[in-house]
Amino acid sequence: MNETARLIADDPIWLILIKVVGTFAFLVVMTLLTIWAERRVIGRMQQRPGPNRAGPFGMLQSLADGLKLAFKEDIRPVMADKWIYILAPVVSATPALVAFSVIPVGGRVTIFGEPTALQLVELPVSLLVVLAAASVGVYGIVLAGWSSGSPYPLLGALRSAAQVISYEIAMGLSFIAVILYAGTLSTSGIVAAQQNGWFFALLPFSFLVYAIAMVGETNRAPFDLPEAESELVGGFHTEYSSLKFALFFLAEYINMVTVSALATTLFLGGWHAPWPLYLIGDGVLNTGWWPVLWFLGKTLFFLFVFVWLRGTLPRLRYDQFMNLGWKVLVPLSLVWICAVTAIRGIREADLLGSQQFLFIGGGIVVLLLLVAFLVPDRQPPEQEQQEPVAPLSGGGYPVPPLDLKVPESPRETRVSATSGTRSRLPEAGQEPTSSTKEAPDGND
Amino acid sequence: MLDPYIPLVLMFALAFGFAAFSVAIAPLVGPRRYNKAKLDAYECGIEPSPQPVGGGGRMPVAYYLTAMMFILFDIEMVFLFPYAVSADALGLYGVVAVILFILTFGFADLYVWRRGGFDWD
Amino acid sequence: MGVVARTGVPDRHSEVLAQQSTDMPPIAYAAVAPVLIVLVAACLGVLVEAFVPRRQRWAVQVALSLLTVVCAGAALIRHAREINTGGTTFADTVAVGPATLFLWGTLLALALGAILLIADRSIEPGGAFVAETNAASGGTASRHPADAPGAASAEVMDRASASVVGMRTEVFPLVLFSLGGMMVFCAANDLLTMFVALEVLSLPLYLLCGLARRRRLLSQEAAVKYFLLGAFASAFFLYGLALLYGYAGSVKFSDIADATAGSLRSDTLLFAGLGLVVMGLLFKGSVGPFHLWTPDVYHGAPTAVTGFMAACTKVAAFGGLLRLLHVAFRASSWEWHWVLWSVAVLSMVIGVVSGLTQRDLKRMIAYSSIAHAGFLMVGAITLTERGLSATLFYLLAYGFTTLAVFGTIGLVRTSEGEATHLSDWAGLAKRSPVVATVFTFLLLALAGIPATSGFMGKFAVFSAAFSAGMGPLVVIALLASALAAFIYLRVIVLMFFNDPAPDGPTVSVPGAFTTAAITLGVVVTLLLGLVPMLALDWASVGGFVS
Repeated sequence: MNETARLIADDPIWLILIKVVGTFAFLVVMTLLTIWAERRVIGRMQQRPGPNRAGPFGMLQSLADGLKLAFKEDIRPVMADKWIYILAPVVSATPALVAFSVIPVGGRVTIFGEPTALQLVELPVSLLVVLAAASVGVYGIVLAGWSSGSPYPLLGALRSAAQVISYEIAMGLSFIAVILYAGTLSTSGIVAAQQNGWFFALLPFSFLVYAIAMVGETNRAPFDLPEAESELVGGFHTEYSSLKFALFFLAEYINMVTVSALATTLFLGGWHAPWPLYLIGDGVLNTGWWPVLWFLGKTLFFLFVFVWLRGTLPRLRYDQFMNLGWKVLVPLSLVWICAVTAIRGIREADLLGSQQFLFIGGGIVVLLLLVAFLVPDRQPPEQEQQEPVAPLSGGGYPVPPLDLKVPESPRETRVSATSGTRSRLPEAGQEPTSSTKEAPDGND
Repeated sequence: MLDPYIPLVLMFALAFGFAAFSVAIAPLVGPRRYNKAKLDAYECGIEPSPQPVGGGGRMPVAYYLTAMMFILFDIEMVFLFPYAVSADALGLYGVVAVILFILTFGFADLYVWRRGGFDWD
Repeated sequence: MGVVARTGVPDRHSEVLAQQSTDMPPIAYAAVAPVLIVLVAACLGVLVEAFVPRRQRWAVQVALSLLTVVCAGAALIRHAREINTGGTTFADTVAVGPATLFLWGTLLALALGAILLIADRSIEPGGAFVAETNAASGGTASRHPADAPGAASAEVMDRASASVVGMRTEVFPLVLFSLGGMMVFCAANDLLTMFVALEVLSLPLYLLCGLARRRRLLSQEAAVKYFLLGAFASAFFLYGLALLYGYAGSVKFSDIADATAGSLRSDTLLFAGLGLVVMGLLFKGSVGPFHLWTPDVYHGAPTAVTGFMAACTKVAAFGGLLRLLHVAFRASSWEWHWVLWSVAVLSMVIGVVSGLTQRDLKRMIAYSSIAHAGFLMVGAITLTERGLSATLFYLLAYGFTTLAVFGTIGLVRTSEGEATHLSDWAGLAKRSPVVATVFTFLLLALAGIPATSGFMGKFAVFSAAFSAGMGPLVVIALLASALAAFIYLRVIVLMFFNDPAPDGPTVSVPGAFTTAAITLGVVVTLLLGLVPMLALDWASVGGFVS
């Protein structure tokens, strides 16, 4: 039981209530601010002012939007599954709010004469709470899409769920090296372990994987495929309006805040003051209420990066996105974990002196680099289609032949004589074999 | 002294209460001027295709594969977490065991990869 | 205060761990080499699937599997030569003793035959297993048209899958994984290892059952049925494991044996736990009232896989059961004896009576295997050295005979695939005297006619049971085997004294692999019938260790 846990265990009930309400308020305010800041920053990036009417610098814009949403018509499509349709936004928003409660915002402070730690919950399994909350949040998305009784939300929900769970793997794997060095799953323990050095420098690859995974996990640009307006209208919340829609919106932004705060906690030393500052006055800037400032600063930095990414990068294609997750992040994470484990194990067991260690490590790196250069970039795809294949009927489903000629309208024929519209069917004449492969032959 | 989970439960109660309240209040405060077009499924303005809830239970099979892979990797992850916490106590034995575990898992991973389990077309 | 204790647990726990840092447990590599070879080769097989081009996969997989079994056998023999009494390894989770080595040898020899049967591509062009996906359709396995039931009729699916050349070579690593699981199963020294081994041996079998090239629906139904019932059996096993842990405070066989030897603990936990665990094992061994999956699965699975299941799974299941009863529950045998007694009788009766009424050859052999499981139970509950060695011998003899039986069944075919209906076999002797003679010999061995291994096995088991004072059970078993002879005689009469149907099935000329497998089975059956001491001596070297 570490000091934070002891401090928090001593909290009287009124202090817990204050912290609960405070965390809630913090998250809601952060959401409003983030939305406003995002619009302002994106606006600047796009050479326009952004919202600037409501309040100073337009800061009340999101509040106004929220209030407006509350007074909008609440629509439930006729095909929707009533109770699940109503429940889905709740399922989405609740875990988002809960996940933040394990984040240590600061160290030891005194509130109304009561010494405590600036953290709502301290558990030996805090990281698992974050992962669990993220997993439950997926249910909200899936249920929303499923219950809407409409094709676009369903497709969006499927995509979104596949995306979130894919990147959750990468995210969870990036935790492991951190846990290995911190030796604990408790968030305050991880912050304490970074007193003498932040983990992003020690574990750069884990940090990189987490940074990518957190964007994928929150469905943000450039990974915002579930809400790809051009393909899926609004994604899983297409059919939602009024406050139900607001809850999804809220959940998305709170998730952003949470993953940013988690990135701060795991890799940027949590609430510890950055480099030159902690030298001042024997670490006075790491005590009292100062840590909140550092914590907020780091978290806001990540939030800014979120917005920056959105302003800069185009959206990925779905297969590219899944390839990045499954074929790059996950395997490399596993290799990285093996390497970290092995290096740590060897050093702990004193099998090698540090000089030997460096030589051997360097040798391995050089070897890997050589191998990497020797391996050709891309092997030609395996020629597997060449085997004799009897005609299949597609399992009984009526399948049109691949070279199906769509009869052209006379008007179009006239136009196509000059322009290139006929090139829409390029393979039609070129692959006569495909018709024998795929033609329906169910009656022979 | 209180159970360390109590703040979490309170937070959950507040979050759930807030969300449920929002959902419950929404139809009461907003206007109610329904018509048939509003209540239909939104399909970019074209006549909506009649669609049972959940698309009638048919979804692209690739999502199913992804879900299975997720479960497998999630379990692998869950095994690695406790190891990482107690790595110091397990020493070199733990290192060898975990690397063997990841390696064995990697074989299956490679198989799925090469056979197109991760491909989306 | 409770709060402190609860939150403090992980920290204190890790402190405790930190103090006594864990060292690598010693591993007797020579003793477990056969298992390690098989499991490593199975992993290699997966890599072969991933990286070897499709055209070469079959050859590489067959070579790898056969080489693996041979290497594992060599390692086994090398270790058996120097063995003394055996011992435990892997921190007491695996126990390798003389009896376990005998079971491993049996499993490896049977697996060799089964792999030969599975590898055959001459009888059914391209192999008896479902073909690789049409790569043009995207490469994902489940997009094969034959895997999309519902809309497609059975004939369309059959024709579709039969027309694609080549077979799924994943079959080989699956068999090796299953074999590895079986070997661990016979050597497990605690219930948890046993459970893991049970799953490792079962899951590949479920898959293998569903891979038949012909009659896809039947095969898939068999796989699903086997999977669902097997999952239930595993759950029973696990529940029993939990109860036994509650009883003995440990899952180790030796601790359970100590606990049963003389204690005032709750017998309810013991017998409920034992009952559930044994139920799981009896399911795998297709014994008595837990046999319901057997006919359908034997019928639906590809015949080579049926051979593998019938021979190897039975050996593994009874090996595990023997270990459990001999090592952990010998002391309490008076209490549970009569239950397994009645299970044995029930199994014999069910097998014989239902077997007499079957019209399909594969189902008939399935019921015959249930009857044989009853005979094996007689040996299994004879908790003497003699009973143990007799049961081990019976398993060996029965395994080879069954393997050869299923190899032969696969030879008789029509254009629609195997002809397993009894009427198709009428007058077979006139079409192919050799096949009919071989099959007759194998059936006689199953019936237990002298000069076959079946007779020697039954004789050994029954005499051991008789000398252990189970006279009534032996009498019942003798009656049952006399009745069971009718099952086999019916087929023999049909083959030799009936006229063949004009459009009856043809007898394929087997390729080298199948010929080798059938020859292996027949020769061993004959050899053990004439010179049983070859194996009986080895089987009675010693018992299980713990």
